[in-house]
Amino acid sequence: MQAELAPGPPAWARLIARTVIARRTVRKSVRSAVLWGYVFGITVVSSAVSYAGIYKTAAERRQLEVAFGHNLAAGALFGPARQLQDVAGFTVFKSSMTVMVIGAVWGLLTSTRLLRGEEDAGRWELLASGETDLAGAATQGLCGLAVAACVVWALTAVAVVAVGRWSLHVGAPAAVYFATALTAGAALFLGFGALTSQLAASRRQAASYAGVVLGVSYGLRMVGDAVSGLHWLVWLSPLGWVEQLRPLTAPQPWAFAPIVGATLLSAWAAVCLAGRRDVGGSTLADRSSRVPRLGLLSGPLAFTLRLARPAVTWWACVLAASGVLLGTVAKASGTTIVGSSVRQVFSRLGATGSGAAAFLGVAFVILAMVVAFQAVAHVATARREEVEGRALHLLAGPVSRSGWFGAWLAVATGSLVLSCLVAGAASWAGVALQGARAGFWSVMAAGVNMLAPSIFVMGAGTLAFGVLPRATVPVMYAVLGWSALVDLVAGFTPQSHWVLDTSLFHHMAAAPAVGVDWKADGIVVGAGVLMALVGWRGLLRRDLQLG
Amino acid sequence: MTGTSLSAVHIEGLSKFYGDVGALVDLDLDVAPGEVVGYLGPNGAGKTTTIRLLLGLARATAGRAEVFGVDCQRRPVEAHRRLAFVPGEANLWPELTGAETLHVLGQVHGRVDEAYRNRLVERFDLDTSKKVRAYSKGNRQKVLLVAALTTRADLLVLDEPTSGLDPLMEQAFRASVAEARDRGQTIFLSSHVLSEVEALCDRVAILRQGRLVESGTLDQMRRLSAVSVEARFAGRVPDLSGLEGVDGAVVEGGVLRASVSGRIEPFLAVIAQAGVSRLVVREPSLEELFLALYGESPQQPEAVPASAG
Repeated sequence: MQAELAPGPPAWARLIARTVIARRTVRKSVRSAVLWGYVFGITVVSSAVSYAGIYKTAAERRQLEVAFGHNLAAGALFGPARQLQDVAGFTVFKSSMTVMVIGAVWGLLTSTRLLRGEEDAGRWELLASGETDLAGAATQGLCGLAVAACVVWALTAVAVVAVGRWSLHVGAPAAVYFATALTAGAALFLGFGALTSQLAASRRQAASYAGVVLGVSYGLRMVGDAVSGLHWLVWLSPLGWVEQLRPLTAPQPWAFAPIVGATLLSAWAAVCLAGRRDVGGSTLADRSSRVPRLGLLSGPLAFTLRLARPAVTWWACVLAASGVLLGTVAKASGTTIVGSSVRQVFSRLGATGSGAAAFLGVAFVILAMVVAFQAVAHVATARREEVEGRALHLLAGPVSRSGWFGAWLAVATGSLVLSCLVAGAASWAGVALQGARAGFWSVMAAGVNMLAPSIFVMGAGTLAFGVLPRATVPVMYAVLGWSALVDLVAGFTPQSHWVLDTSLFHHMAAAPAVGVDWKADGIVVGAGVLMALVGWRGLLRRDLQLG
Repeated sequence: MTGTSLSAVHIEGLSKFYGDVGALVDLDLDVAPGEVVGYLGPNGAGKTTTIRLLLGLARATAGRAEVFGVDCQRRPVEAHRRLAFVPGEANLWPELTGAETLHVLGQVHGRVDEAYRNRLVERFDLDTSKKVRAYSKGNRQKVLLVAALTTRADLLVLDEPTSGLDPLMEQAFRASVAEARDRGQTIFLSSHVLSEVEALCDRVAILRQGRLVESGTLDQMRRLSAVSVEARFAGRVPDLSGLEGVDGAVVEGGVLRASVSGRIEPFLAVIAQAGVSRLVVREPSLEELFLALYGESPQQPEAVPASAG
């Protein structure tokens, strides 16, 4: 006799069950989507507003056009400069490449985290065992990512339409076109990240593959833009396709065709591959075995260095590349710091004088924000080691908490010092390549000068790690975000010194435009060390947190 | 040397509260050197909390815990030099291979019996050239077991060490624990696998809602608890209602099953008079003891009143 089956769940319950991965992906990506949507919007607004504030006279705008209009180095780095005498042209030139690259990085990191990362953590298996199969699960994940991309686009569009009306003097359709062009890189690399998540065997590997695509794409575009006769290379580069949209200056909507095509093709391939491979497996053959490499496995400090080595290398490369880029454009940019309004903005940011040194002074303040972000990343990694239970294997052995966390702080500090030195040396090399004059030691000192804010951020993170561990990352982002906001806004609008004093970067001398203020650096570092000591004490007294 | 320092593990009045919630309340426990102690309790009973306090990973609200006389809360590193730990969740560094993981854990501990490690790797059938991310849960657990066993630490603290292991590997684990016991190592084994505890442990401690409810050797616990009896009758099954010490009596097809605690003579007299044709008396298994402590009994056929038929 056949047992009577219970009636199935109602249709609405089945719909909920069939969209659980999509909704979860939206939930896990929407926060960063909102953040970056705002950042992109603010970037466009600040570019437009700063142009109006800095280059007030026709003479200053002409100077800008002369400096960048036919500057191959600047074109290679930021894309072709068109109509720089016009606020719309400047805004496109100033913000497009930066937003496009940041959007692409966000896209590839988000999709690999939410597709491959969830699989690595073992959660995908559980989610995909519901009312779906592996291809369906990937489809749901992609739908969730599409919603995140729409959020980024919508927030950017709101800001661009608003600034388009008041500052750029363009209509809503043109502004929406610009916002779409700005966020097209994010959409493309969400797709590429989804595809590499199916090809690779781990999240890190998937992100690396997509990162290589981004690097090659940027390189091809750079060569295509800089070398006459090789412009066709731009059409081999996904970033080149986005560049060819030419918003606000000479729109080419048909360039959307390869962008949409590549995004959809990547998504379709990702779904197909997801349905054909095993959970936890990879499409490309994975080297899951190797001869043991026993270097840097001899104790807590060496082992921490081994764990952090990829991140240390990555950050050093980022700072080196940024240093070269900024050094390369320093000479041309320096020549635009001529009018009184331009000088006023630079001097509010701490950089007096003119020329390459003044430009580098402000550039190093901005690079210091990147270095402080690196400090956040290192402390956040230590926190993950604790929560995910890996630190337990050391701390249940004869390794003290001081030894374990001290190793992380030592490696993080070493990594920050390395990044600062590399940024200094690379900037000097960039300046030298352009035939400009800048003292090697003064630029290196400017690099070392970036260390103090990052040590403070690390100290604040350590304080939270010891006393209120769940707040470790938010506290560091709060300190960094507030300081960056106050300092950047102060460049364009006068601020009370009470407000300015709350910014870490306000206490940092804009070297090499001015001499390094070692005393101020010492006080900032001292405050960071003090916080770290309090946090350290808290760490020794609290429970280890797992799971 | 004090009496306390003679114990491999000495726990006295140990408590851990999260706000008003007591995860562990006033625990007293001693483990002698060379002893194998099973630590049992349902989920949330406080087993893992005890182990974290014992390792100094969590701070005690009250009481003390010592390993070979070393205060685990105040001098955890010194205590850790005498022990090796295997957690239930095997979260390892995914980019390292098994061999690299064993190497780093050995280096951190400072002492490794390499020959024994090679034997264990073979016994557990572990491919150490693979990266951890390519390992199954069971293989990751094997890495941690091999790492802990090869330290030859005086005390092995094992928290659900066989979760994810297949039956063959479970046998390999039992053989390894038996070797450690024969070498005089002390083993503190928290486990849900009662057959494993029954096979390996000299003594059992049972936790319930953060409190120790039973502790002793299995023989001691069996003596204090009821025996299971099964009696077959040719004729009518006698009425056992009102007979002191008889519980859970069920009758099925002329067979009576019951548990009898305390003196068994009155029970024997009644069934002898009723003409018992076959009698089996069995000591309770650890599972039966464990379930009895939690107010449940092993699965039995549908109960029929003993006076019936």
